Amino acid sequence: MKSKRSIEDDFSRRMVLAAGAGGVVWAGLVARLFQLQVLEREKYQAAAEENHIRLALAPPQRGRILDRFGKPLASHRRAGRVSIVPEQAKDPAGTLAQIAAQIDLPDDRIEKITREITASRRRNAGFVPVIVANELTYEDFARMNVHAAEIPGIQVEMALTRSYPRGRDLAHVLGYVARASQDDLTRLSTGMVEDEAIRLEKLFRHPDMRTGRQGMERFAEEWLRGKPGFRKLVTNAHGRVIEEIPDEKFAPVAGKDLYVTIDSELQRAAIERFGDESGAAVVLDIETGDVLAMVSTPAFDPNDFVNGISGAAYAELRDNPRSPLYPRAHGGVYPPGSTFKMVVATAALESGAVKPTDRVNCNGYYHFGNRTWHCWKKGGHGSMDMHNGIKHSCDVYFYETARRTGVEKIAATARKFGFGEAWTLGMTGARGGLVPDAEWKQRVMGEPWYEGETLNFGIGQGQLGVTPLQLALMTARIANEGRSFKPKLVGLGPKSDGDGVLDAPLDAEIMQRMKAGMFGVTSEGGGTAYRSGDLGLGGPRLAGKTGTAQVRRITKAERDKGVRKGVDIERELRDHALFVAYAPTDDPKYAISVVVEHGEGGSSTAAPLARDILHFALKNDSRRKAVYGKTASITPAGAGEPT
Amino acid sequence: MSRDGYTGFSRGEARTRTARTLSFENVGALGKLAKLPWGFVLLIVAMALTGVAMLYSSAHTNPDESNLWYLQLTRFGMSFVLMLVLALLPLSLWRTLAIPAYAFTIVLLILVEVMGVSGGGAQRWLQIGPVAVQPSEFAKLATTMALAWYYDRVITPTSGRILIHIGALVIMLIPAALIFKQPDFGTTLALVASGGVVIFLAGLSLRVILFGVIAGIAAVPGIYFVLADYQRERVDTFLAQMSGESTNALGESYQIEQGLIAIGGGGFNGKGWLQGIQSQQDYVPEQHTDFILTVIGEEFGFLGTTTLLLGFAVILGWAFYSASQSQSWFGRLASAGAAATVAFYIVFNVGMVIGLLPVVGMPLPLISYGGTAMLTTMACFGLILSAHMHRDEKLSSTGLI
Repeated sequence: MKSKRSIEDDFSRRMVLAAGAGGVVWAGLVARLFQLQVLEREKYQAAAEENHIRLALAPPQRGRILDRFGKPLASHRRAGRVSIVPEQAKDPAGTLAQIAAQIDLPDDRIEKITREITASRRRNAGFVPVIVANELTYEDFARMNVHAAEIPGIQVEMALTRSYPRGRDLAHVLGYVARASQDDLTRLSTGMVEDEAIRLEKLFRHPDMRTGRQGMERFAEEWLRGKPGFRKLVTNAHGRVIEEIPDEKFAPVAGKDLYVTIDSELQRAAIERFGDESGAAVVLDIETGDVLAMVSTPAFDPNDFVNGISGAAYAELRDNPRSPLYPRAHGGVYPPGSTFKMVVATAALESGAVKPTDRVNCNGYYHFGNRTWHCWKKGGHGSMDMHNGIKHSCDVYFYETARRTGVEKIAATARKFGFGEAWTLGMTGARGGLVPDAEWKQRVMGEPWYEGETLNFGIGQGQLGVTPLQLALMTARIANEGRSFKPKLVGLGPKSDGDGVLDAPLDAEIMQRMKAGMFGVTSEGGGTAYRSGDLGLGGPRLAGKTGTAQVRRITKAERDKGVRKGVDIERELRDHALFVAYAPTDDPKYAISVVVEHGEGGSSTAAPLARDILHFALKNDSRRKAVYGKTASITPAGAGEPT
Repeated sequence: MSRDGYTGFSRGEARTRTARTLSFENVGALGKLAKLPWGFVLLIVAMALTGVAMLYSSAHTNPDESNLWYLQLTRFGMSFVLMLVLALLPLSLWRTLAIPAYAFTIVLLILVEVMGVSGGGAQRWLQIGPVAVQPSEFAKLATTMALAWYYDRVITPTSGRILIHIGALVIMLIPAALIFKQPDFGTTLALVASGGVVIFLAGLSLRVILFGVIAGIAAVPGIYFVLADYQRERVDTFLAQMSGESTNALGESYQIEQGLIAIGGGGFNGKGWLQGIQSQQDYVPEQHTDFILTVIGEEFGFLGTTTLLLGFAVILGWAFYSASQSQSWFGRLASAGAAATVAFYIVFNVGMVIGLLPVVGMPLPLISYGGTAMLTTMACFGLILSAHMHRDEKLSSTGLI
């Protein structure tokens, strides 16, 4: 038993004990805080720093592509877009359904997005947005904005999208950009060390990155791409961006603008002039070699490819009988027909096999071996010298001339003009065509060259294949009297095969004869394109040469009955109409080649087209000084300096 | 029961104090209010305002939570008035209310069991009209009052028998069992701990206490198996953390880790108000409630956290001192028990946040956002103040009951 006093004392003692115990506990807490906040603070401060700063890849803005006067051909457009931030969308299926209630969202697209969301969650905890719909119409964008607050985890924003303001006009020249595929990455990273390749792959995984898939976009990829930077992002615990710390040091470097030599107005006018016809036209500045227009029609709209074209839409383009994907101007190979006759005449004069005054009598046919070759004109042209042979496009004259000159000489001269060479000029899909000779035939067909084939060669038929670009190049070199010359499409940008000069001078005197012949075609009585000679500018005339490329062989029976024309035969069996020309005749500035597929007659369809395009070029002064600076004019062979 | 025989009360000093107190009673409530220990009261106000400022810092960036500081301020204002009212209540009334309050709390706890609202893996909320209350919070104070009432009745100058403590144990274990069942391990522990302090102060033999502690430790593995999954996970996390094992960064240990980074990152001086990186960017889950210390730690550094602990130490130390001055067993034990209740809140909360204890889900008194805890804390202070105001009363039970 304890005394009363001892109970009181015991209580006091126990109070002191309890308070003391509390003091010990308090001291323990303070000691722990001291450890955390004083002794180990650096460790935790570093952890905090690491915690919240994230370097996010900032894609560079792609350089624009501009025409010679600075008009944008490929630039950027602000486009409305909806994306899902997987981290914030707890129920992606529900969110997608809510979006689909506002805008059109096909089921297969929903499936694809759902997969991407899963992947995004795995890769980065889902704070990188997944794009649901790009290119919203104004109405859709407005509607999405109104409903954005009610739909959890979505972002409605304006983003920059590659855009081709000229649409189809320059599809084959510019090409297009697309999300980089595995193939693209493999191609782009060729020759890179592994680190570089990995960085490149990371960059292209960014939803805003595109790579040039075709044309100039592909050729000038590195010029246009720029250098990626980083955005210093402060993120919260969920990876959500709280703020951005601006840092010039890390800013991406925008890609450089690329200038092409094209005059987009001339291009547009030419395409309009083609209307429903399919074909190609190339306009060159004969002084500089600048490609002022390069038409291939019909074409596709590169804008459709930027965000990925649907399988159905692509199939439609691919299977279209008019082949809109086909780059006719630099990749279309046609028999040049009579437009090739200047090359044959030049070869004849260069080799000395024929003199300009040598005459050939044309009865409408030509016997050689046991076969008969026909002139396009039944009944013949009578006695022809070189000038008249060109002017009337007399086939018999050129059978004889070609036979005398021989295949090797003609082929050599053709190559000097630039035939047989694939001029990419920075585009994709360029083809060289074919300049046949005995060696080629032996190698490829295992047969010797028959002299009869030389006759076909003489009128631009047979195995010979050329592109409209090559024809324009030929015409330009005739017009500038043989000065050395390379066509050029890149005005300011990376070096292409169009830079510099062609080391193949042609004889000026011979070229003057060719010009005279071409002048005869359009400006002298009896010329095959007499009606198209006047440019309609009250004076200036053009000089040209018609051509017809056979699509099929004319049978004996047909020839006897009279060759059927026009509506009588299927469109795709009709001949291609060709025309090459330069203008003005007294002071040549522009050279043009026109191919109208299945257009039947060079003089009836191709020549008026060429005339109208040249008319526009002269009126618009398409070759006037380009904005990207002085273009080196052509200099004699060998002295050329790349620009 | 009469206290007349108490030798301690016969000191001359005590008699004068009694006389003084009595004279003030005549002056009425206002005079009594003036007699409050205002240093203590103002310290509480200062602490609470600090809490509001920290709450603002922690939540202002989140639009959904940007007005929490204001809500908390309002709640504190109301609780403060309540504290003053409670402080003025005669201690005898407190004693009278002890058993009804205790009974009412037990009823509420049973109601929670029957029709409570679940939240966070446990059923501990009771929806009363628009407000959700957590009866387990009130249970701490009610149990303390009940224990004080009980000892006030049974302690005699000659008592010292172990048997009287059995009744106290029963009073404590009924609510403890109900709360444990919710399950709310942290509150159970806090309740048993502060109840234990009362029993200890009431004179339970040290040998028995020692035996109890050993038995408790032995029971730990058993307790582990009756815990709910999420509780076991917390203990696992804690043990893993103690042993240096790395655990799932997105689970419980993530919260602790981020909290430690915030506190440690604050360094000695802290980053300044509203400047905490972790705090401003939502890195620490529950940083406006249980983990508010991380905000203080990050933004005010070691200076801030120790000043805070010092503030609490002064409040609790004074409360303890005041309890020891009380002339009635009810006053002594209720006041010390209330102080112990607040003290265990603090120890559990701080210990948990700085990684010394498992995560038990305990708010930091006066600082953390939350209405029920604020109410309980302020009621505890009200009780302490009332005991202080009436420290010289001997509370003759015969006259009052």
